[in-house]
Amino acid sequence: MLLETIKKDFIQYKAQAEPGEFLTLREAAFAEFEKLGFPTTKHEEWKYTNLKSITDNTFQSTCEIKSLVNELFNASIESKLTANFLVFVNGSLVNELSKIIEKDNSIVISSLATSRKNNQAIFNQHFGKYAKVEGQAMNALNTALLSDGAFVFVPKGKTVVHPVVIFNISDASDLNVLAQPRNLIVVEEQSTLTIVETYYATGTNASFTNVVTETYAGKSAHVEHYKIQQQAGACYQNNFTQFFQEADTNINHVTLTLDGTLVRNNLHFYMNGENCNSLLYGLYVTDNKDLVDNHTRVDHAKPNCFSDEKYKGILKGHSTAVFNGKIMVHLDAQKTNAYQRNQNILLSDDATVNTKPQLEIFADDVKCTHGATVGELDEESMFYLRSRGIPEDVARKLLLTAYAVDIAEKIKIPELVELLEQKIDGKL
Amino acid sequence: MLEIKDLKAEIEGKKILNGINLVVKPGEVHAIMGPNGAGKSTLSAVLAGRADYAVTGGEVSFNGKDLLEMSPEDRAREGVFLAFQYPVEIPGVSTTNFLKTAINEKRKYLGLEPMEATAFLKFMREKMELMEMDKALTSRSLNEGFSGGEKKRNEVFQMAMLEPKLTIMDETDSGLDIDALRLVSAGVNKLKDGERSFVVITHYQRLLDYIVPDFVHVLYKGRIVKSGDASLAKELEAKGYDWIKAEVEQEANA
Repeated sequence: MLLETIKKDFIQYKAQAEPGEFLTLREAAFAEFEKLGFPTTKHEEWKYTNLKSITDNTFQSTCEIKSLVNELFNASIESKLTANFLVFVNGSLVNELSKIIEKDNSIVISSLATSRKNNQAIFNQHFGKYAKVEGQAMNALNTALLSDGAFVFVPKGKTVVHPVVIFNISDASDLNVLAQPRNLIVVEEQSTLTIVETYYATGTNASFTNVVTETYAGKSAHVEHYKIQQQAGACYQNNFTQFFQEADTNINHVTLTLDGTLVRNNLHFYMNGENCNSLLYGLYVTDNKDLVDNHTRVDHAKPNCFSDEKYKGILKGHSTAVFNGKIMVHLDAQKTNAYQRNQNILLSDDATVNTKPQLEIFADDVKCTHGATVGELDEESMFYLRSRGIPEDVARKLLLTAYAVDIAEKIKIPELVELLEQKIDGKL
Repeated sequence: MLEIKDLKAEIEGKKILNGINLVVKPGEVHAIMGPNGAGKSTLSAVLAGRADYAVTGGEVSFNGKDLLEMSPEDRAREGVFLAFQYPVEIPGVSTTNFLKTAINEKRKYLGLEPMEATAFLKFMREKMELMEMDKALTSRSLNEGFSGGEKKRNEVFQMAMLEPKLTIMDETDSGLDIDALRLVSAGVNKLKDGERSFVVITHYQRLLDYIVPDFVHVLYKGRIVKSGDASLAKELEAKGYDWIKAEVEQEANA
């Protein structure tokens, strides 16, 4: 049982932890987790996603690293980028594979553990301030037992030229592994940053990743954030990403889920100032008995903000997808523009989609639209291609690739998009 | 080239084509005219192989082969091209990629090697010049955001690229202004080589001022009720379809 391991882990952590604010915070988080327990399908937010296969299993935190991960890293498409790399295996930083090419010393790209010592003020100002622990069992668990993670700090008016790749590997070669990465990204006023958050797995045992990422975007900041999930094998992941936006910020987020036995993504945006733009795009390609669950929440807390959300799915085999998109338009968030779409193509009779748009609007002068579709490939398009001599199977692939690439192209790194397109093509 | 014998077809149990007979020889241009609901678009759909229509009788042979037995893609690769009345917008598929795939699939079917990338681009450039196509259109997604005129010109451009033996134009003139009509027709006329045949389906005569037919057929209630030369189209333009309808009713009553 996972719960017992976790309790043991926490006792162990407490025994060697230094007393202080950080410990107090984590103790409170653990108490919250114990109070809530793991979410079950009785919770409305977890109705379609059963964590039993995780909670009934045992997973262990481990720091041991196998040489295999070097090969995996070098073979990955992300490693081909000209970028800053922070590589984590089972939640621990691997120095040999990590590489920072950013020249500006005022920009910090490091591990969370290092930053807690070297950048204490910023850490204390932002850590745990955006991703809520109250009522959020998995966030509470992560806060209590976080392994390590990325810390990125971009001071006022700076542009990080190359992307920061947060490269996570679950190495389940010897045993079932548990990793709880925790990332903190602080982008101050008028600064620009691109993050590529990516997940791989190796080994024949199971892995469970419970990750929390908090991003603070100061006034007029611009953040590009891409999440790429390709954990093949018995891999489970709960991913919580929280953006906190000050006025005039632009955030472009893309989630691509191309593999994983069970993936639950929680993507939250909080607009704390006027004239914010939040773009949320997602693509999931599922197969076998996999389950991919995307829960998103956009809090329009201030007037004159814009959000655009588009999630697309391609389902094969006996797989299941869940989409739940909540848009909260708060009382004084007048002139809100919020758009949401979820489209699904089912390539198998045994695949299931549960899709639910959820708009809660408390302001009266807003423009909000939503729509969800579940279906097959467009017959008119198929006929058009076939009438030009393109055989049915080729036509289908052409259309599916186009459908998927529409989302992949929201990523503004052309060389990454190209490599991802090949990856997606191979999956279809 | 194309031989249609007593072709009958229906959709959802509704009879639309009630015995069509038509022979198209190489190099000929046939116009099929008729009032709304006569079965014009059904005829083109059945010839192209659209699945919604059930053929309930008759036969169609294309260069000696049974056309109705073939899948839509095989018909295309044998040399039949349908210019759509409403070309479909396909986001994410560029015109270039689409045409390269179509041409190479046809070549594969004919037992030829795929066209080299550079040879393909050169070929496409030539056809673009010939059709006076705007270069920007080919890099955009297929028909996405194209105006009505651009879509129809793209159909003719695809025709030029795929070099069919028989082209069926389904109300290509609908929704076109006079300039676009002229450009589309000029494109078609450039492709006439004495071998290629055209079946031009239209409601109005004006397209036939530019693409002059050898034969004009009037389709009414799923049958060809009158055939003639280009002057028949002019007569229809002047007098409308009512007199034809009256003739048919009279015959039926007699």
